Amino acid sequence: MSTLAVHDHGVAHHDDHGHEHHHNQSFLSKYVFSMDHKMIAKQFLITGITMAVIAMILSILFRIQLAYPDKTFPLLTTLLGRFAPNGRISADFYLSLVTIHGTIMVFFVLTAGLSGTFANLLIPLQIGARDMASPFMNMLSYWFFFMASVVMLSSFLVQKGPASGGWTIYPPLSALPKAMPGSGEGMTLWLISMVMFVASSLMGGINYVSTVLNMRTKGMDLWKMPLTIWALFLTAILGILAFPVLVAGVVLLIFDRSFGTSFYLSDIVLNGVQQPYEGGSPILFQHLFWFLGHPEVYIVIMPAMGISSEVMSVNSRKPIFGYHAMVYSLIGITVLSFIVWGHHMFVTGMNPFLGGVFMITTLIIAVPSAVKTFNWLATLWRGNIRFTPAMLFAIGMVSFFISGGLTGIFLGNAALDINLHDTYFVVAHFHLVMGSAAIFGMLAGVYHWFPKMFGKMMDEKLGYLHFWLTFIGAYLVFFPMHFMGLDGVPRRYYAFTEFVSMQRWLTVNTFITWAAIMAACAQVAFLYNFISSIFIGKKATQNPWESNTLEWTTPVEHLHGNWPGEIPTVYRWPYDYSKPGAEEDYIPQTVPFSQTMSSNQAHDFEDNPKGLEELNKFNSTLKANEQVK
Amino acid sequence: MMAQIQKDNDRLDLAPKKFNMWIFIFTSFMFFAALTSGFIVYSGGKGHGLNVIMPDAFKYSTAVIIISSITLLLASKAAKQLQFAKQRMFLWLTFVLGVAFFAIQVYAWYVLTYKMNVYLTDPNASRSFVYIFTGMHLLHIIAAILLLLNTLAGTYKNIPQVRNLFKMEMTSIFWHFLGIIWIYLYVFLLLNQN
Amino acid sequence: MGFRKFINSKTLLSFITAFMLLGTNLLMAQTEAAATTGGQTDAPQVDWTGVAYYLLLFFLVCLGVAVIGKILKIYDLTLKIQGKKGMKWNTVMAVVCLVFLIAGLYGAYWSFTVQGSMTLPEAASVHGVKIDEMFTVTTVLTMIVFFITQILLFGFLFQYRHSDKRRAHFLPHNNTIEKIWTIAPAIVLTVLVVFGFFTWQTIMNTTDTKGDINIDITGHQFAWELRYPGKDGVLGPKDFRMVSAANKLGVNFKKRSSFDDLQVDTMYLPVNKSIRLNIQALDVIHSVYMPHFRVQLNAVPGLPTFFKFTPTITTAQMRTQLDDPKFEYLVYCNKICGGGHYNMQKVVRVVTEAEYQAWLSRQKPYLNDALRKELHFAAADQPKTESQNRLALNN
Repeated sequence: MSTLAVHDHGVAHHDDHGHEHHHNQSFLSKYVFSMDHKMIAKQFLITGITMAVIAMILSILFRIQLAYPDKTFPLLTTLLGRFAPNGRISADFYLSLVTIHGTIMVFFVLTAGLSGTFANLLIPLQIGARDMASPFMNMLSYWFFFMASVVMLSSFLVQKGPASGGWTIYPPLSALPKAMPGSGEGMTLWLISMVMFVASSLMGGINYVSTVLNMRTKGMDLWKMPLTIWALFLTAILGILAFPVLVAGVVLLIFDRSFGTSFYLSDIVLNGVQQPYEGGSPILFQHLFWFLGHPEVYIVIMPAMGISSEVMSVNSRKPIFGYHAMVYSLIGITVLSFIVWGHHMFVTGMNPFLGGVFMITTLIIAVPSAVKTFNWLATLWRGNIRFTPAMLFAIGMVSFFISGGLTGIFLGNAALDINLHDTYFVVAHFHLVMGSAAIFGMLAGVYHWFPKMFGKMMDEKLGYLHFWLTFIGAYLVFFPMHFMGLDGVPRRYYAFTEFVSMQRWLTVNTFITWAAIMAACAQVAFLYNFISSIFIGKKATQNPWESNTLEWTTPVEHLHGNWPGEIPTVYRWPYDYSKPGAEEDYIPQTVPFSQTMSSNQAHDFEDNPKGLEELNKFNSTLKANEQVK
Repeated sequence: MMAQIQKDNDRLDLAPKKFNMWIFIFTSFMFFAALTSGFIVYSGGKGHGLNVIMPDAFKYSTAVIIISSITLLLASKAAKQLQFAKQRMFLWLTFVLGVAFFAIQVYAWYVLTYKMNVYLTDPNASRSFVYIFTGMHLLHIIAAILLLLNTLAGTYKNIPQVRNLFKMEMTSIFWHFLGIIWIYLYVFLLLNQN
Repeated sequence: MGFRKFINSKTLLSFITAFMLLGTNLLMAQTEAAATTGGQTDAPQVDWTGVAYYLLLFFLVCLGVAVIGKILKIYDLTLKIQGKKGMKWNTVMAVVCLVFLIAGLYGAYWSFTVQGSMTLPEAASVHGVKIDEMFTVTTVLTMIVFFITQILLFGFLFQYRHSDKRRAHFLPHNNTIEKIWTIAPAIVLTVLVVFGFFTWQTIMNTTDTKGDINIDITGHQFAWELRYPGKDGVLGPKDFRMVSAANKLGVNFKKRSSFDDLQVDTMYLPVNKSIRLNIQALDVIHSVYMPHFRVQLNAVPGLPTFFKFTPTITTAQMRTQLDDPKFEYLVYCNKICGGGHYNMQKVVRVVTEAEYQAWLSRQKPYLNDALRKELHFAAADQPKTESQNRLALNN
């Protein structure tokens, strides 16, 4: 079935020995060590979902501790053993939970699970390519990710527990194995896992960029690419630029931990014992970390933005408002995200003038974000909105992005950050703007492209239930946290029982925990829906959402090389929805303008004088005909 | 008729792979850029100068890596002219020079540690940076040598010329890049040695 | 139909809450019992009935969802058999969006009034007032945007819900309106940036304001150590190599200024005096956080930092203001530093100048007897070398 596809590569297939172009693929090469981008996308998705569920369970565990700091739950001892002696999670393990929850969610779910899934699935399908630039590297990318996940989870089996210095692993805490139990083997495993993860991300990212730049089909110029591709492409560029810097920081940390150098360590007396480190600078690590870390939050949110733009346009049956502005704002965010990292370090005692500069750049980045938000709203305006579950999640993403983005204006302001830094206000902010918003973008993508991935439809009603419970749950969890932050309640506190002033927040904490449990239970609806739909779902049609983009021109049954015959040619941008004069309310990208004379507009031929001439001729004949009548 | 045919669909899938190599080089460059800016932040922020005169071994290794780039260039030329024996010879030469570079770098570490008392675990971490720079560069050199060996093995197996040239080109890009990176690091260290 | 579904889910919801309340009570009672017995046997028994209860409850909810799903499906089918259109889910969802908007707006309002009133009292320092002004301005601006955009978002969803009769309005772009909403946020943000930049500079760039009182605060796992200067008003230098059991901070007693330094337990601050906090850490990064004064700065090992501020409200005044006789200002740690991170606090008391002086005279010197013993030889040697130095200077 795949022989057809190969011929398009021209000369390449002659010397392509050892590729998977044989008819009867073994189970291993089809499902496990697959080099097909669609299968790799599914592998990324399923691993990502698994990791998300694990990280969610971790969050429920520490939420229980926060809600009932004085109660004992013998069940926890049964489940967690030495990490929860006497029915209470220990203080060190609490920090481990927080750390691993953050690490898994940020890197393994929202970076690999989101970018990995949708870049792999959509880039070749939406730009019209047979596969990625290097399918082998693509496969390696997944397996490195898988190994990284296994290593990260295996740190729970270590005697002293997983890394517990927070997902930002600031040294000296993370560099001194004696500073806390989690900084021992747990931290070592964390670092190994992250190095593998970065390798995976880089291999993926290199492939994505190369594929988008080199392998677009005929007619698919950059300004005809769907916004999903733009977002995933710019995300990959961000990753390529930012992740090596994290590796550099991690390498130095590994040397400090294991070889006795003192890049980050200086003047340390741990438990009354002087350490032999001199002259290091812990701030150096923070600079290196946040040079990755801040672009990382855009690596997380940009694919979600791209997916939401696409889903909202399809389901409002309207072109995305201001396509060019959307692209330029994505580019603006990409560029600006590299010069704002210092806003995570306002209170480290860095040069106040530098702090001021970072504040300016940080607030500038709010402008492209605002433009995007307004454009989304304008896309909905006078639309014909279909509420598919994917659409609801895309809308949820916008709502969270607004709520969380606005609090970013507080935190980006250095003066306000003095009192808000590292409080629950920050927790609320980033969980809304990058946590919930990005995961909603991801879920929108899953609901929208499930038919493409598995050839089946997901159940809509369960999707609705899932959406509303999760959406409401997330607001109930994170909205009250703002006020805790405004009361000066710090994050990463094991219990608030030691502070008289914080005890009044206990009821709120209990409420938040129950809201979180409700939202977590709602995910069962999703998991059931996801798994059962793969097997017993309604069969999908070729273009179930009546969408314009190229992926819906491929057959429902997957085949290697994506299109059975020639790759279709692209003639128009992907957002011709509800064009006046057209028969249907959508015109796929593969339909030439010559077939849609009645709906063409002068606007379509901005840089095509020949086409404009044709259009004018057509219009004048039309007018003439009418006059004759 | 209105369709704009902009791109030829019949392309080698080798071209994107070569592009991959360029992007990889970019990430690798970012890595070294991060390390060197780490050095700048470190030594500038606390007034820790390096105060080490670079050992002469680095001069020799620089010469060796430049010569190896030339031999690899000659190998590419030979490959393009279908002179496979000559290509093989120059590849072997490059390989030997690569190993020599590796050895000289390790010797430079020996000189630094035992003759000049500049340690990896120096309290002044800008000195540790010297080891990190060279060490991380050597890791890349190992990868490049493996790539070189792969190309070399290709010349013994009768693979198509397209493939041979492709492999040569990939190796060349990476090898020359590592040469440039080393020169960058060396010049960086020379500028900062006081 | 949308209405009927609403009732359904509502009754279901009340059922669930009733169940949950019952269950929580049950579980709480049992865990408390378990806790008391646990203290004696040291191996608390797992309360399997509680677990089973919750599992059963969850199973029941799933069953309920499944039943409702089936009912809806059958209803949908009967509608179709009768030749009508199936359930209009688009309309249902649009209505739910509207309901969510209204409920959400009320919820946000409730949260603002109830939880908003639980936040920090007015700033008790000079610069804190500026921060609070900045905060109010930012809050007003962002909340206007918040309410407008959320209302528009969910309003549009309801207003433009799907209809077969209508086609969406084809509007790919409009340069004028895009320019407006690029420039408008840019202007608002510029105002905030300029305002914020100068506030920030006045707070942090305090090289020319003199700190009347130097206070040394050092973080370690897991406590703060405070050191006040003695009569000379100068804090002695420190060196981490000199840390010992008696000399926890590593104060350098080779310098005279170290001898009269005071070790204190509670941070007393005279009101309306400029304070300079010298912030250090011994082991890992900590963060000095005094939210009532809007003060926060990280304590980084090897990188001493300082923060200057002026307290304006005494503890006594704040107590009457808040009507809370037990109120205390606090300083606590706000950067993850290990297992005891959650309990690194010290009481801060802002008092009048007279009270401050009285308190200061009662404090004990840092150089206590144990330390004297430890430093015995060094201290004996010390004056000699210094007098030699003086001689050298005189020459």
